Amino acid sequence: MSSPVASTVGAEGRRERWIAIGYLLPALIVFGLFIFWPLVKSILLSVQGTDILGNPSGFVGAVNYTRLFSDPDFLQVLWVTFAFTVLTVIPSIAIALLIALLLQGRIRGVRFFRTAFALPFAFSVATASVIFGVLFNPASGVLNGILSHLGIDKVQWLTNPDLALWSVSGATVWMQIGYNLLVLSAGLGALPEDILEAARLDGASGLRLQRSIVMPLLTPQLFFLVVVGTIHSLQSFGQIKILTVGGPEDRTTTLVYSIYEQAFANNNSNYGYASAQAMVLLVIVLIITALQFGVLERKVFYR
Amino acid sequence: MISTTSSPSRGSRLRYAVPAVALSASLVLAACGGGSGSDGDSDGGGTGAPAADVLDKASGVTTVAFWHAMDGTNAEALDKLVAEFNAANTGKIEVKSTYAGKYDDAITKYKAAIQSKSTPDVIQIYDIGTRFMIDAKQTIPMQAFIDRDKLDVSDLQPNITGYYSIDDKLNSMPFNTSMPVLYFNKTLFKKAGLDPENPPQDLAGIRAAAEKLSKKGGGPADYGFGAAIYGWLLEQFIATDGKEYCDQGNGRDGKATKVLFDSPESVEVVKWWQTMVKDGLAANTGRDTKAAQAAFKSGQLAITLESTGQLGGFSKAAKEGGWELGAANYPHIKAGTEGGPIIGGASLWINGANHEDVQKEAAWRFVKFLADKKSQAQWHTGTGYFPISKGALNEPEDVAYRQANPLFDVAVKQLEGTKLSKATQGCLLGVMPQARKASEDGLESALNGTDAQQAMTKAAESLSGQISQYNSSVQ
Repeated sequence: MSSPVASTVGAEGRRERWIAIGYLLPALIVFGLFIFWPLVKSILLSVQGTDILGNPSGFVGAVNYTRLFSDPDFLQVLWVTFAFTVLTVIPSIAIALLIALLLQGRIRGVRFFRTAFALPFAFSVATASVIFGVLFNPASGVLNGILSHLGIDKVQWLTNPDLALWSVSGATVWMQIGYNLLVLSAGLGALPEDILEAARLDGASGLRLQRSIVMPLLTPQLFFLVVVGTIHSLQSFGQIKILTVGGPEDRTTTLVYSIYEQAFANNNSNYGYASAQAMVLLVIVLIITALQFGVLERKVFYR
Repeated sequence: MISTTSSPSRGSRLRYAVPAVALSASLVLAACGGGSGSDGDSDGGGTGAPAADVLDKASGVTTVAFWHAMDGTNAEALDKLVAEFNAANTGKIEVKSTYAGKYDDAITKYKAAIQSKSTPDVIQIYDIGTRFMIDAKQTIPMQAFIDRDKLDVSDLQPNITGYYSIDDKLNSMPFNTSMPVLYFNKTLFKKAGLDPENPPQDLAGIRAAAEKLSKKGGGPADYGFGAAIYGWLLEQFIATDGKEYCDQGNGRDGKATKVLFDSPESVEVVKWWQTMVKDGLAANTGRDTKAAQAAFKSGQLAITLESTGQLGGFSKAAKEGGWELGAANYPHIKAGTEGGPIIGGASLWINGANHEDVQKEAAWRFVKFLADKKSQAQWHTGTGYFPISKGALNEPEDVAYRQANPLFDVAVKQLEGTKLSKATQGCLLGVMPQARKASEDGLESALNGTDAQQAMTKAAESLSGQISQYNSSVQ
C-alpha cells in the first residue's frame, strides 16, 4: 500500500471513484437493463401507434395521451384504482394493527394465533383468489350458504356492480393482513421496554398508553406499511383477473388491469396506448409516494 | 429526547427503494411489448404451397412444431393423436406439440413469435382470431394445398368449413368445433307441469316456461332461465334470426367497418333478457361461464344456453344429481325464422413465412391427418367436440358414442339443418375478440338496469375507433 504522504489527493480521489463505480456497476447494470431501459422503451412506445402485430407503427405524438384523457371510461378506471387502494390499504393496516395489539396480551396459545393470523402471507395471490372465488360463488359459495341459513337472500358478490369492488377489496385485505401483522408484531416486540416502563410509572395505562406511547413509537412501521401497501394496491392484478376479470361493467378495472387489457387481452396489442397508461400509473405512483414522504413522514417518529 | 432527523437510515433507504419498486413494476410492460419493427417476410414464396414431392426428396426427420390451446382431457386426446401420427411417420416426420396457453395467450404468443420470426409450423387459433390470422399474412391457405393435391374435401362439413372460408376458399382447417344448444332440466319441467318433450324454441317460449319454472311463480327452480353474459350467445341469436353481426356481408364481402349488435333484433334479445332478470325469472350469474354452468348443474336453473362441449359435464351432473337432462336446438328470437347457429371452436393454420418447404409439407400432412374421419371420430368421442368430417359420424366408435350420448344427435341435426348463409357463417372481423367483449359490456350493463338500446349502442360505438384503426393498419 502506498502511504498517504506519497500519494497526491487527486490520485487517491480518482482511485476511490473507480472503486465506487466498480461497486455500483452490478446494481447499475441490473437497474439499467430491467428498469431504465424499459422506462425509455415505454416512453417511446407511448408516443407511437401500434399495428395489429404489436409493432410500433410510427410516431403519433400525444395521440395516445389525448385519447386517454378524452375517454370517459378512463376516468372511471382512475376512480376505481383510487377506491380500491383506499379500500385495501386502510383496512388491512387497521385490522392488522388491532390483531397485533390483541396478540400483545397474555392469552393462552398466543403463538398459535400469531401463526394463524400471519398465514395469509404464505398464500400466493392466485391461490387466495381461487379460494375466494369459491367462497363468493353465488350458487354454491360458503358465504351465501351462511346467509341462506340466516334467512337472507343470496348476494351477488362479484356480479353486482355496486358490490364487486368491495368483495375484491375484502379478499385483498385478507391477503395483506398477514404481512402487515408480521411487520407490526415485530415493531411491537421491539418497543423499548424502558420507555414503556417509564410511562407506566408515570401512571399511563390501557388506551392512554397505546395512544400516546405505543402508537408514536410504531409510526415507522405504520408509515412503511402505508407506502408499500399503497404501491402494492396500485399494482394489484391477480385477484382482479381471477375474480372479476375487470367486471361487472368495468367496475373493478383498475389501471394495471386496464393496461393488461389494452396490451394483452382479447387479442389486443395496443402497446402504444397501454404504455401511455403505464406512464400515467408511474406518475401517479411517484406523486403519491412523494406526498407520503412529504406529508406523512413528518409525523414519523424515528428513533 | 429522540430526534426525528438524527437517524436517517431507515427513512432514506426506504426513500430510494420505493420509487424503484414503483418504476420496475409499472414498466414491465415495455419489456414485453415492442419488437423488431418489421413484420415477417412478405415475399410471395411464404404463402404458397410447396411442391408435393418436397418431403419425399428430403432426407432425415422433419420436425413440425405444433402449438395448441388444449388442456385437460382435450390435451390428452390431442397428444394421443399426435403420438399416432408420429408412430405412422417414424423416421420421416416428428410433430412436437406444445401447449401455448389458452386461446388468448396462444395468439399473444404467436404475435411475439411473428416478430422474432419463430412461428410454429402449425398453430391452433380460435374462431374469432380468423380475420387477424388472414391479415397477419404469415400462413398458407389450406385451399392452396387442396388445389395442389386436387383433394376431395366433400367429407368436411360445409357448415363448419364455411366459417373459415372467404369466397369458398378455405383459409384454415377447422379442428375442434362446438355448437351452441339449449339445455334444459327435464325433471324440473315435469315438476312444473311442462312437457319435457316439447322444449321452448324462441324467446317467448323460454319466458312462458320460465314463468312456471321459477320460484317467483311457485315453480321448482330458483330461476327458470340463466346463461352466462357471453357475447357468443348474442352472436348466435343474431344468426338464428338470419341477420348479420357486422357489415360488409358479415365481413365476407370486404373488411367489416362496423358491428351491428345494436340492431333492433339484437336489442330485442337484450331487452328480453333484461326483463327476465328484472322479473326474477332469470339469474344473472355474470360473465364467468362456469358460474352459470354450476347453477344449472345444481338444479337452480332449469334452462340454459351452452356449447355442445358441456354435454359431458352436464350429463355427469344429471346422473349424480338424479335428474334428467334435455337438449334442444338453439332458440330463435321468433320461432320459424330462417337462420341457424354459427359454429365455434378453433382451427389449424400452417405458417409459411420463414418456414422451409419440407416443414410446410410435413405440416400439411399432419393437418390432413387430424381432419381425417378416423382421427375426427376419435377426437369427437374423446372430447365431445363436433367432428368436422361427415364420415366420422359413421365410424363404429362414433356410433357407439352417440348411442351412449343420444343428446348429441340434437347438435348433429341442428348443424345439418342449418342453411349456410353469410349470417350463419359468422362475422369475420379483425377485432372480433374485442367486439365480443364490447357486446358483453353492453349486455351486462343492460342486465344491471341500463336501457337496452342505449347500452348496446354505446358498446357498438366504443368499437368504431378500434375497427378503423385495425383496418387502416392492414391496408
